[in-house]
Parts: sequence; C-alpha cells; structure tokens
Amino acid sequence: MNKGGAGGVGGGGSGGSGGGSGPTAAAAAAAAQKQKTLLQRVDADIGSIVDNFTHLVNVSRVNDLPVRNSQEAFMMEMRAARMVQTADSLLKLVSELKQTAIFSGFASLNDHVEQRTAEFNQQAEKTDHMLARIGEEAAASLKELELHYFSSTQRASDTPQL
Amino acid sequence: MDGKLEVSLDRLPVKRLDAIEENGLEHFPPDVGYDEKRLSLIRRIDFAWAIEKDDNKKQKKSSKESSKPWQWQGMVENLQLAHQELSIIIDLINTVEANDAVTVAGMTRPKPLPNEVLSDLSVSAATKLQCFRHLGKYFKQSAKALEQQVAREARFYGALIRLQQNWKVKRQRGAASAPGSEGFTIDLFDNSLYDPAAVFRPSSLSTVRVDHDSAGMLSINLPPNSYRSLQFGFSGPHTDDSLREPFKMKTSSTRESEKESVSDDECVKETHSLLREVHQAIFDEQVFDLVSREAFNPSLGVNVTGIQENYLQMSIGQGTSVFISITPSSQGDQTVESSGTQNLDNAILPLDTLDGVMLPEEEQDTPKQKWGLPNRVSYEIYLQQIFHEHVFLRAKDRPIYAGNRISGQGAKDGCGLLVHFCMSLSHRIFSNKVLMELDNVVCRVPYLQLISHPTWHSRTSSWTLFMKVPQSILHAGCLAHTSNNHCVKNVIKCQFRTKVVVNDDCINVEGEGAPNVVGLFKGNSEEISSMNRYNCDLADLSVIILQQVASQIIGWLHEEALLVGIKVNRDFLCLSFELEQGETLSLVAHVDPEDTRGCISWWLVMDDSFNEERELRIDISDGASEYKKFLGHLSLDVLYSTLMDLVSLCCGGGSL
Repeated sequence: MNKGGAGGVGGGGSGGSGGGSGPTAAAAAAAAQKQKTLLQRVDADIGSIVDNFTHLVNVSRVNDLPVRNSQEAFMMEMRAARMVQTADSLLKLVSELKQTAIFSGFASLNDHVEQRTAEFNQQAEKTDHMLARIGEEAAASLKELELHYFSSTQRASDTPQL
Repeated sequence: MDGKLEVSLDRLPVKRLDAIEENGLEHFPPDVGYDEKRLSLIRRIDFAWAIEKDDNKKQKKSSKESSKPWQWQGMVENLQLAHQELSIIIDLINTVEANDAVTVAGMTRPKPLPNEVLSDLSVSAATKLQCFRHLGKYFKQSAKALEQQVAREARFYGALIRLQQNWKVKRQRGAASAPGSEGFTIDLFDNSLYDPAAVFRPSSLSTVRVDHDSAGMLSINLPPNSYRSLQFGFSGPHTDDSLREPFKMKTSSTRESEKESVSDDECVKETHSLLREVHQAIFDEQVFDLVSREAFNPSLGVNVTGIQENYLQMSIGQGTSVFISITPSSQGDQTVESSGTQNLDNAILPLDTLDGVMLPEEEQDTPKQKWGLPNRVSYEIYLQQIFHEHVFLRAKDRPIYAGNRISGQGAKDGCGLLVHFCMSLSHRIFSNKVLMELDNVVCRVPYLQLISHPTWHSRTSSWTLFMKVPQSILHAGCLAHTSNNHCVKNVIKCQFRTKVVVNDDCINVEGEGAPNVVGLFKGNSEEISSMNRYNCDLADLSVIILQQVASQIIGWLHEEALLVGIKVNRDFLCLSFELEQGETLSLVAHVDPEDTRGCISWWLVMDDSFNEERELRIDISDGASEYKKFLGHLSLDVLYSTLMDLVSLCCGGGSL
C-alpha cells in the first residue's frame, strides 16, 4: 500500500512544511499570509456582490427621461454579470480550499495511513495464523484419513490378498 | 393635363391711384419687390389638378387592395402627414434663414397632455420591469449552473479524498491538459525498496491521470492492453495445466456507459479495484525484472533455455522446464499457450536441456502418472510471495506477526530467491516421484502403512512407513516377569518405522534393518538391529524400502524365536533354524518391487550340508523343489504361524 504522502500542495503556501518536526516559522508565516490573502479575496468578492446588488436595487426607480431608463438598463445588465462573475470566483476559491485540504492535511492523512497499516498488519497476522491453522488441520486430517484408509476394508480389497 | 387650358391675364402694370387727399396728394401702392413678385407668381400657379390626380391614384390603390383597412393605417398616414408638414416647415425655415430676412428665435415644445405623461411613465415602468425580469431569469440560470458545478465538484473531490486515503495523489500545477481536469495524478510507484541496486525504473503505468467523465465524476482512463500480468507455467509436451483466466479488463468506454447507473460509492470502489490491478501489474513487472536478472547469474539448478521479449524459459532439473512471462491481461488462454509453444521454437538459445523430458509414451501406466506436475497457480503465487516478502518488504518495517515460513530456509537474500524457488519446485516434483514409489510399495504390501509428515518446508519432505506386527502370545506371560529386562525388551518391539526424508533431491532412509558388521561378529541380537541411516537413489528406493521392511520382519521373527528359546541365526533377509543331523532350515525373504501380487515373498530353503550333490539338482525355476519351497506372499500372522511351526519342528526333531 502506498503511503499517503501527497506530493502536490495547495496553492504555494504550505509547501515548505517540515518533514516530521512540524511547520517551520517560514511555513507558518507563509500559511498566515495565504490565509490573509484568501480572506481578502473573500471579503472583496462578498463586497462586490453586495455593492452590485445595491446598485441594482437603487436603479429600480422609474425616471421621466427614457434616455436615463435605457442607460440604467445597460447598467443593470452589467451589475448582474459582475455578480455572477464574483459568485463564480467565490466557488473557485472554495475549490482551491478543497484542494489545499486534500494536499495539506498531513496529520489526518498520516493518522489514516498508520491506522490502515495497523489494520493490514493485523489482517496479515490473522491470515498467517489462519494459514497455519489450516495447515495443522490439513495435517491432522491427512493423518486421520491415512489411518482410516489403512485400517479400512477398502484398502484390504485394494491390496493383493495374502 | 386636360384639353382645357385656362388662361388668366394679369392686370396691366399701371399704377393705380389708391387714395388722394384733399390737398391733392396722391397715394400709389408701394412697389413690389422682386422676391415678392416671384412668390406671387408662384402662388398664382394652380396645383389643384396635381393634387386631385394624386388623390385619384390613391383612391384607386386603396380600392384595389383589400377592403379591410390595416389597423395601423391611420397612424401611418398621420405620421406621413406630420412628416410632410415638418419637411415643409423645415424647408421654410431654412429658406428664411438663408435669406437672412428672418431668424428663428426659438422653438417651444408643446406642453404634454396628462394622458401623454402617464403613458410615457407606464412605458418606462414596463420597460424597467421587463429588464428586471430578464435579470431574474439570468440569475436563475446562473444559480442553476453554479449549483451543478458545485455538485460536480463535490462528487469529484469527495471521490478524490476517498482515493487519497489509499493512494498517493499528486497535483500538476498549471499542467491541466483539459479544462476541468485540474491536473491530478495518482502515483503508483513505490520507491522505498530495501536494496538501492534493485531500484526499478518507474513503469509507464506508475503515473495514472485523473480525469472527469461526462457527469463530472472522477474517472481513470487506461488504454487497452496497457498493463500486464505475470504468467508462470510448465513448458513441454507433458504439461496439461490450463493457464488461468485473464483479468476482466474494465475499459474506459464501458466505464463511462455504466457510470450513469452506478452510485458514487461503486464508482470509487471500481476505481480502487482498477488502481489495485495496475499496482499489481507494476509489481508483476518488477518481479519479472528481478527474475530475469537472477536467471542470468550462474547458479546451480537454474539454466536459461529460452528468452524472448517478456518471456523467459528455464530448466530446473528433474527434466522440467518452466517459463515466466509478462502478458497483457486481456489476452486469452489460447494466445498465451500458442505463444508459449512458439517460443520453444523461436528461442535464441539452443534447447539442449530437454533431453530429460519425459514424453507421454515413455511414461508407464496410471499409478505412476497420477501425480504429475505441481499446481501451476500455487507456484505462481509462491513466486510472487517470496519476492514480495524478501525484496519489497525489507524497506518497510517487517511485520510483527510470526509465521514467516521462508525465514530460516536456504538462501533468502535477493540473489538466491530464484534459485530457492526453482529448487523448491524441483524438490516438489522429485518428492512427488518419491511418494509415487512409496505408494506403489505400500499398495502391494498389506501390512505396511504410509504416514505423511508435513514439514512446512518448501524443500524438505518426510514420510514414515509403519508396520505393526502381531503381539506375541507370550507377551502376557513376559509382562508378569517385569524384572526380566531382557524379556521386556524383546516384547516391546511390535512396531517398526522406516523414515524417508527428502531434502531437495537427496533421499535419506532411516530405520531398523540390516545388522551392522560389529553386531554380527558379537552375535548379540541387540547389536544387530540398530538404527541405520543412509542415502539412496530414486531408482533404488523401492528395493531399499522393501529390504528394510523384510529385514525388520526377519528381526521380529528372530526375536520371537529367541523368546521361545530356540536358537536361530539371522542373516540380512534370512532366518535359519538348526535341525538335528546338521540340517539347516531357512526362511528367506525375497523382495521384488515389480511383483504385482506382493512385493515381499517368502521361501523355505533346506540346506543339507551332507548332500551337496543334491543342491546341484535344484531346479531354481521350479519353486516346488524339495530343497527350496516357495511359500508365497505371506501375511504377518501367517509368518508367525509358520515360525511356530518351524519352532515346533526344531523342538520335535522331526524330519522333512
């Protein structure tokens, strides 16, 4: 079974994490910076969605000038497109977080790998014991069958009569 | 223009007095300017006829068209009239401005009526409402698309996380070959081997790309025949083992068609299975690589007799050749068998080691043919197991469980595994032959039993030939005299065991039997029957065993005779009684492994030292000679009775 040591790391933040001695200071700083960047992105996206939606609501007033109404119609389409784009950006951010979780969750991965290793070792041990038991039972059965055969009438009929 | 032409005459250009005042001042009309004259002349032109003509044309057109008027006809006509009036006004304004006579001070829009204001407002409101509705539809579509994307990603990443629990998942940054694949790969190569020299080149199968299928679910696409499995078998005309069925290949095309109907769990399980098959294929390739390397090291017991791409044939002794190959998993049995047969002919090395191969017509009947070759599949698994345990597991912590059957056996480092395997296989074939010989002997000797002793050692086999003789009738009486050690010793021996141990291809026989030389000189029966241990060949095994058993019977009879106080002499297979008058009566055992009626037969031989001439007249072929009588294949009870008869004969002093 392959060990779960993942090669790729989400983003570029936590790639410098140490082997078994825990994250170094540089890795911790990089992780904090990465977290800050993500939060900024989230804030920006949420703010953009709110801002665009606010503008959409604000232009709901009907003006006397048809020219202004047309202008506002174009602006509404633009705001709606921006909202959808921002939502898509948020979803991409979620995907990045999922990938980071996949490739950076060393603790849980290692625990799971160790657990699986212990399970497989246990299963191998059990299998080996079972094989040994099967062998012993086969040997005992063979001995018993040989004894029965050589003391049976079948054997007497098979061998030349003396 | 009609035929009528109306002519009007202007007034004469005479100045006519408009008014005269009392003082006699005359007022004449002002002079008319040139432009005014022009305008007045233009006005005097009567265009009524043209207008009437146009009206007539329009009426004709309208009459020709359908009688039902178009609902927007009135609005169109009004617009056309408005357009004409605007054009006239604009022309007038332009003309006036061009003449600089008059300038336009300004234009004021007429004040809209209330209904016009409300209608404009309602149009604007409806337009804006329509715009919002359009936006609403757009948002709904986008939400639906984003929800689908979220669901697809949730399925994909859920499956990827589950795969990551057991496999090494890597991400290729910026190397996404297709949109949506994110460049994930699964690395199946294990680079933690014990022996640095045994580091293998990563196989082409080591990196498996993770793709999306049409439903967005994780999928792994492998080209057909991309991975192969290890095949082991016996080559030669006497092999009748059928090769195992190939793996059921799960191609991507079938996977995609079935994926819509299977759940995510089943999809992940199928992916796990596929990855496991690929992982096993990589392991098989590594095993084949190791076997190929070891095969060309000079060693006893393994000779390469044929080689091709992904195919290796070896001679392992005992007249047996085996082959190891790497074949695509989708190939059928026939293909592999035919390739195996062809490889015998196309082998680069000369096939000079098949001299010892037993052809079917050379073999004997069924009893000797029934053992055959070992199970091919079991040895294929054994080959994989020993390489896995001794090459691949050394890099990791050795499992804590006990029961490693190979530990303590033979050469277990990486260099001797193939030799050990071939010698194990050779030993199995040889031990089957030994067992066949022993079985033939036991079948034909009723009082002999065969007991198998599983050694759990791949190169050692052991059996025991057990014989139980009837208890002496004086056994009970001797038991009462427990102080008589000699008596107790003599009646204890009612079971005889002959142990046969095979190590590799060496047969070792151990048991009571032939008396040793020292014992013979001393004349002590206790010294005669001693445990012997010696090696023998397969061809002599039957004879050796039978002689051993026969000597044990002779020894038993000898002990019984001594028990009743008769002096007897014992040779290897002969028990001699001394009669009166110097005659010697001998009970002689004759062993013949080929005797189907029984391998051990008995003769009664009379040795008259005073009648040597008579011995020359003995017809050996006739068992009924008066000096040599064939007793037949006697059971132990009958032998014991015969012994008692001979004893009574010796005691009675009767003559033959």
